[in-house]
Order: sequence, then C-alpha cells, then structure tokens
Amino acid sequence: MYRVVLASRKTVEWIGLLIVAFLFVFPFLWMASTAFKTMPEVRQFPPTLLPETWEWSNFAQAWESGPFLMYTWNSILVAVGILVLQFLTAVPAAYAFARYKFPGRNLLFGLVLIVLMIPGQVIFLPIYVQLSGWGLVNTLWSLILPYAASAFGIFLLRQAFMQVPDEVIEAARLDNASEWKIMWTIMVPMAKPVLVTFGLFSFIYHWNDYFWPLIMTNSDEVRTLPIGISSLHMSDGGTLWNVMMAGNMILILPILVIFFVAQRHIIKAFIYQSK
Amino acid sequence: MFSLKKTGTILCALTIGLSGVLAGCGSSGKEQSTSIGSTSQPAASTESSGPVQIDFWYALGGVRGKTIEDMVKKFNETHKDIIVKPAYQGAYQENHSKVLASVAAGNNPDVTMVEIASIAAFADAKVLEDLTPYSQGDEKKYIPGLMKNSYWNDKLYAVPFNRSTPLLYINRDMLKEAGLDSNGPKTWDELVSFSQKLSKKEGDKITRYGFSTPVDIWFYEALVFQGGGNILSENGKELTINNEAGKAPLELWSKMVKEGIMKNPPGENYNAWDVAEQDFLNQKVGMIFTSTGSLTELKKNAKFDMGAAFLPANKTFGTPTGGANLVMLAKSTDAEKKAAWEFMKWMTDTEQTVPWSIASGYMPVTTEAIDSAEMKAFYEKEPNFKVAVDQLQYGYPRPMAPGYKELQDVIQKELQRAMLGQATVDEAMQTATEKGSKLLKK
Repeated sequence: MYRVVLASRKTVEWIGLLIVAFLFVFPFLWMASTAFKTMPEVRQFPPTLLPETWEWSNFAQAWESGPFLMYTWNSILVAVGILVLQFLTAVPAAYAFARYKFPGRNLLFGLVLIVLMIPGQVIFLPIYVQLSGWGLVNTLWSLILPYAASAFGIFLLRQAFMQVPDEVIEAARLDNASEWKIMWTIMVPMAKPVLVTFGLFSFIYHWNDYFWPLIMTNSDEVRTLPIGISSLHMSDGGTLWNVMMAGNMILILPILVIFFVAQRHIIKAFIYQSK
Repeated sequence: MFSLKKTGTILCALTIGLSGVLAGCGSSGKEQSTSIGSTSQPAASTESSGPVQIDFWYALGGVRGKTIEDMVKKFNETHKDIIVKPAYQGAYQENHSKVLASVAAGNNPDVTMVEIASIAAFADAKVLEDLTPYSQGDEKKYIPGLMKNSYWNDKLYAVPFNRSTPLLYINRDMLKEAGLDSNGPKTWDELVSFSQKLSKKEGDKITRYGFSTPVDIWFYEALVFQGGGNILSENGKELTINNEAGKAPLELWSKMVKEGIMKNPPGENYNAWDVAEQDFLNQKVGMIFTSTGSLTELKKNAKFDMGAAFLPANKTFGTPTGGANLVMLAKSTDAEKKAAWEFMKWMTDTEQTVPWSIASGYMPVTTEAIDSAEMKAFYEKEPNFKVAVDQLQYGYPRPMAPGYKELQDVIQKELQRAMLGQATVDEAMQTATEKGSKLLKK
C-alpha cells in the first residue's frame, strides 16, 4: 500500500516536471520550426507544428544579409574578453571579502550589492559620455570595459569561498603557500562549479546583449550578432519571420553547445549552493 | 543582472594594466587608432582638401534598410567630394535615444531619421539645425501635406523621407461575397454595419471578425481628427481629448468589440500590428487599419483581392501622417552641414523618391514625383498605392509638442485600459488628461 502511494507520487512529480519542461522548451522548438518554414507557411492558420517543406535557404539568407562572420567574431571577442576580465577582478575581490577582515569591509560589500541592483540602462549616459571622452566609442573596448568588474560575480564567488573550510587554508599556510597561490590553486579549483555557472551566466548575457552594443557602436566592423539579427526586422510591417528565426538559431547555437558541455557543472553548482 | 561599474579608476587601471592581455580584443588597428586619436570629428571633415565625410543614421531594418544602403552607395558614387557613412541604429525609438546620447557625448551623426512626432522634442532641445539657410525655397518641392511636421516655431527643421498614412485595408472577395460595396465602408456607421455582416459565429465562438485594428495612438489620432477634434490645443500646451471628439473613438471601438464584430489584437505596440496583419492575411478578419508602409508586403502575401481605402469618416475624413523625416544636427561643422544638405536634398529628390516609394510602399515626397510619368504608370497598375496620396487632402500633422513621445505612451495606456474594460471611457480620458497635463507642463 505504502509503496503504491509512493509510486503514484513519483508519477505526479514526473508529469509536473514534464509539463514545466514542455513550457520552457516549446518556444525554442517553435523558433526552430519557424526557422525552417517558408513565409506562406509561417502565416498559415491553423499553424503547422513541423514545416511541410524544409526551407534550408532561410539560414543562408540570414547569414548573407550582412557581414555575419564579422559579427560572430566580434561577439566571441566581446563575450570572452568580458569573461576573462570579470574572473581576474572577481576572484581577488571575492577572496578578500570572504577571507579578510578589514575596515570598511561591510560598507564596500554593501556598495557591491547596490551595484547589483542598478540596471545598466539607467546609468548608460554618463558611461557613454565618459567612454566617448576617452575616444572609445565605436570600438570593441567600449563593449568590454564597462563590464570588466561584475558585482554579481563577486557576490556569487564570495559565497562559494566562504564555504571552503578554514582547515584547508590553515594547512596551506603551514606549507608556506602565498596568499596569491592559495587563492588561485586552492580556492578557485574548489569553487569550480560556481565559477563555471557564473561564467555561463556572464557569457550568455553578453552574447545576447543588444542594448549596450547598439548604443556604443556605429559601424559593422565592431558590431555583434544580436544587432545583425535585429537589422533583419522591418519597422513598419513585412518582417520575414522565418529568416529572422533562422538568424536567432545561428545566435543561440553556440550557447546551446556550451550549455550541453557544461551542464554537469551547473547542476553541481546548485547542489553546492543549497548545502 | 551584471551591473556596470562606474568607477573610473578601476577602468583606467584595467585599460593600462590589462591591455597586453586583451590585445586581441581591439577590432582592428585602424579602427582603434582613429577613434582614440580624434576628439569628436574625423580630421578629414575639417580640412578643405579631400572629401567631406558625414555620418547618416537610419532606423529601418530588413529589405528597406538594404534599399537605403544602396541609395547611399549611389550617392557616394555620384558625389566625389562627399562620403556618406550609413549606419543602422535600431528602430525609431532606439535611434531616438542614441542620437540624444551621442549629442551629449559630442560624437553625433550629421544626418539622421526622426519619427515625425519627435521632431518637436529634438528641435526644442536645440539638437537640430535650422534648414532655411540651406534650402532657400527648395522645400517647396515637397508635398505640402507632408510638411506640417517639418516646422517648429516657424523654422524648417526637417524634410520628409519615408512617409506614410494609415489606410483601411479590405478583403474585396469577402465584401463581395457578403453583398457589400467592394470599395469598402465610407463612414463609421458603414464600418459598423459592414463589420456586422462580415462577422461569423459558430455556436458561441466567433470564427471571423469584420474588423480589427491595433489600439494604437496613431489610429486614435485619426479617429479624433475625423470627429472634428484635436489631441493638443493650438499652442501645444494642453491635452484636448476629454470631450466628445476624444471619447468617440473609444466608444466606437469598445462597442464593436463588445458586439463581437471587432477583434482587439493582443500584444504590445508593434506586436499587435503584426497580429492584425496576420489575421487579415489569413482571412480571419475582413478589414484592418494599418500603415501604407505595409502595402507591398501585404499585397505580396494576400491570396485574395486586396484593396486599400480611405479611413472611414465620422464628421469628416481625417488622417495623421506618419513615418520619419530627415534632419541635420546642429553640432556638425559648417563643411559637414553643407555636405549633409546635399545628401538630404538628393535622397528626397524625385529621382530617388519614386523608386524608393515603389520599392517600399511609402509615399513619394515631392509633388513632381506624383505627377511623374513613372509614378502615374505605377498607380495605373496598382491603384491601391495611390490611396494614401489622395487621402493626404484630409491629412493632419501629428501633434507637435516636445513631450509628445512620453505623452502618447500615457494616452495609449489609457486607451488599452478602456478597451480591456479596466476603466470606463470617461475614466480613461480623465486619467489621460490629468497625467498628460503634468507632462506638458514640464
């Protein structure tokens, strides 16, 4: 009897999970299916779930509508560049916040938390003016530098570093390891799942970011993929949704690949956090 | 989620300290050195020798953006002393924000597209150059009905470029089948009676609506004009929609929705436009309001006899114009301004505006273009394209006030609240007027 109840509860859980999973996956499937349809089929009602004829040329049309190779290269440089800088700034900052007692620590950490709450759109103008003063507008630097330090990264890593047992650090100090060495060779590997998760968040956010690159750049040489794809959209009607979705598929493909490669670490990070 | 760090010192330190690490991140040596070296303007533009280089920011994507790029290319080929650098900057709203930011930072473009209701805001902020000394009467070539949004405080600030009006699109096959005049309804009463006959029900479910329109400020303006009203007072300082003419459109729409003969397409802003057009193409609705800018695409995709007609009249016919104008920025140098005017003049000349109009569905902007043999032949073949031009005799400018961009959001929100039954028509107009007056006093 008890076993039956348990089993049926499992079933209910599974069904619930499947429904939620479907809700999240469906928009992706819909985008993928639209990317392969012909335009009359996109407009057809009732809509078809799978394309009747597979129109592979949508991808070519999206790719050829602008210098997409250049956009892709720029997107990689920007997202990776930001990631590297964020690691280089967040790891020491988080280590200091987690392991040192110094005057003003709480105040400074409070400031980090405040930064976490201000949306970029609110303060874009002063930053734009500053970067313009340095002559950096319309360069890749203007896309990278404003994000060189991440409050979210500092916050997340601090929590992870705080969970490393004191004994580990004491032992390292007894072995005459420098603070620098402790940080990079002991703390960082132990926080690897959190680092991977943060890296993913950061990479995906900046890979997809539309607002900032649009504001900071004027020419194709320094523009990123999301702007290239948005230029497929027509303002007063008449957008080719199939080509647009094909463009979006091109945009998210790298993210999907990275996500599948790294998912083991993400799951670990969440288990780690909830301990 | 990832906030920006303002701290200049950190940025400085990073720039110096890590430039070695990230050397690969610079776009290209050339791009970096030119932008770091110069203050705000390219050196070439201030020298008298060599061609003048000007920046042109536009706000149309897709095929239309391509057409614009091609036009600029042709200009550059035919003008050896001027180089125009075109750049797509997102839709109207995004371009708007970006131009204002760039003016504050001192690296603004020389020519840009501005949605016509925003001209006042730009002119009032002293961002725009007065064009009168450049045009010297040349502006008379443009269609007068399109010029009302070009002036602010009696000064010429803009020339029409991609201009449109709302139209009533009709499914002629559907109208004929229902025994209705296939030229479409001429009055609000006819709009209602046509919609009643076109709507279909199966049991309790409505399977076809007679009419659909996005509840958008643009169409609301049209309907207010048709009732003899206006959105703003003559001096542009007061909102004048809390009256009969202001309420009539909402009463008409909500009555039709309640009766089940009009569909209120869901979605924010332009999404609702897409839904309306989609429903029209799928013959789920018989008639819609949408821009003449959609004509080319709708014609290509409609599997029925599609017609365009004047917006139906209440007391009179009436329509706002729409789309964008070209403007010159006040901060550019004299040489750049001279080149900018050359470019603006060329882009809107008959020779350019005719093919642009035929390719895009926007209206041609010069009177000469409308009388040209090419345009006449085109209209002969495609009479739908002429409707917008004919309707211009009942055209009104979009309301002109520096704060109209914010104001229209306020009004639109109240319109939607009324349509969704969250407020009565009276309440909605009351709230819109109160909130709007505050904005206008700023």
